[in-house]
Amino acid sequence: MRLTVLAILAGFALATFTTPAAAQWRPYISHPLGFAFAAPGPMKVEKGTYEAPIAGRRQTTTYAFTDDNIEYKVVVIDMRDIAGNSASLLGEAQYRFQDGKKLMMDAFGRVDRQFGRKLTVDLPNNGGRSMGAFYFINGRIVSLQATVLPANGDYETPETGRFIDSITFYTVRADDDAIEVPPPG
Amino acid sequence: MRNWMLAAIVSPAIVMGSLAAEAQSAWRSYIVKELGFSFSAPGKIETSTGTFRGEVAGPRQTMIFKSNVNNIEYKVTVMSFKQAQGEGASILGERTYMFQDKKKTLMDTYARVEPGKDSVYGRKMVVELAEGKGRTFGAFYFTNGKLIALEATVLPANGDYESPDPARFVDSIAFIASRAGDNAIELQAPKTE
Repeated sequence: MRLTVLAILAGFALATFTTPAAAQWRPYISHPLGFAFAAPGPMKVEKGTYEAPIAGRRQTTTYAFTDDNIEYKVVVIDMRDIAGNSASLLGEAQYRFQDGKKLMMDAFGRVDRQFGRKLTVDLPNNGGRSMGAFYFINGRIVSLQATVLPANGDYETPETGRFIDSITFYTVRADDDAIEVPPPG
Repeated sequence: MRNWMLAAIVSPAIVMGSLAAEAQSAWRSYIVKELGFSFSAPGKIETSTGTFRGEVAGPRQTMIFKSNVNNIEYKVTVMSFKQAQGEGASILGERTYMFQDKKKTLMDTYARVEPGKDSVYGRKMVVELAEGKGRTFGAFYFTNGKLIALEATVLPANGDYESPDPARFVDSIAFIASRAGDNAIELQAPKTE
């Protein structure tokens, strides 16, 4: 009996130490860009490029997070000089997100008077599943993308939806302790 | 002899009448140079103005081009947002949302007109109207500060909800003038305040 209890306790302890602790979700905000969101784990800021027929070649700033083999990204593409073409620019970005992939969901996304779209795709070659949301605000495409990698494998996880739906364009709605993300360089 | 003469008079009249009806419902190309697009539709095009109100769009006057043939209503609606072009994506999203709101959506997909960097992205949708009032095909675009909506509604009196004519209408939109065709009839935009 004593040994059984000891074995159970040891099992719990082992499980606790070996299971990776889920990273804490934190609120983030960008006052200059006009949005706030929440994500888990430490943030990395990455610079990149986006190229498409209508948009041309554009600089991107990505706020990236990884937790439990799920990649979370907020991608900001500056299009202020061609913002008058916002509908087609946003349509193009959405189209490219799902092009050549298996589309699982494509629905309206509406946040704080901003209409966009939410999509879920299966990546080719069993590369995982990505959920994305796309909005055009203040001359920029703001896109949230969460990818569940095969190493995680839980493609029905609610974490991706939590990330995508955390966006707000009314910065007053952000938590008081929201962390200011660095502005795009 | 009398019957033969009657037939000789009546038959051409019937033929002429049906030819006139056919001409009336023939598909023609139209171009609205002032607004920067062209389209094809059957029947006589009538122009008018109307109003629209959306939370994002606000109150707007609309320019309407419409015809009705064989109990299918064809309608192009244009709204100007010259001062809010940067809001075009949201305005388009709102319009498409309103189109399908409280209706059964049968199709909702990407629409792209023109190639490469001249592409205009929008959406194409098919909805069933409430209370068996028919089926509407819609295509929606926002370009050059204008929201352009093409809607074709198959009414119950027609009943052929699989008719290819609504798709022909919504797919006829072009934003490059040269694609309108040489025989395109020029339409004047109705004046708004």
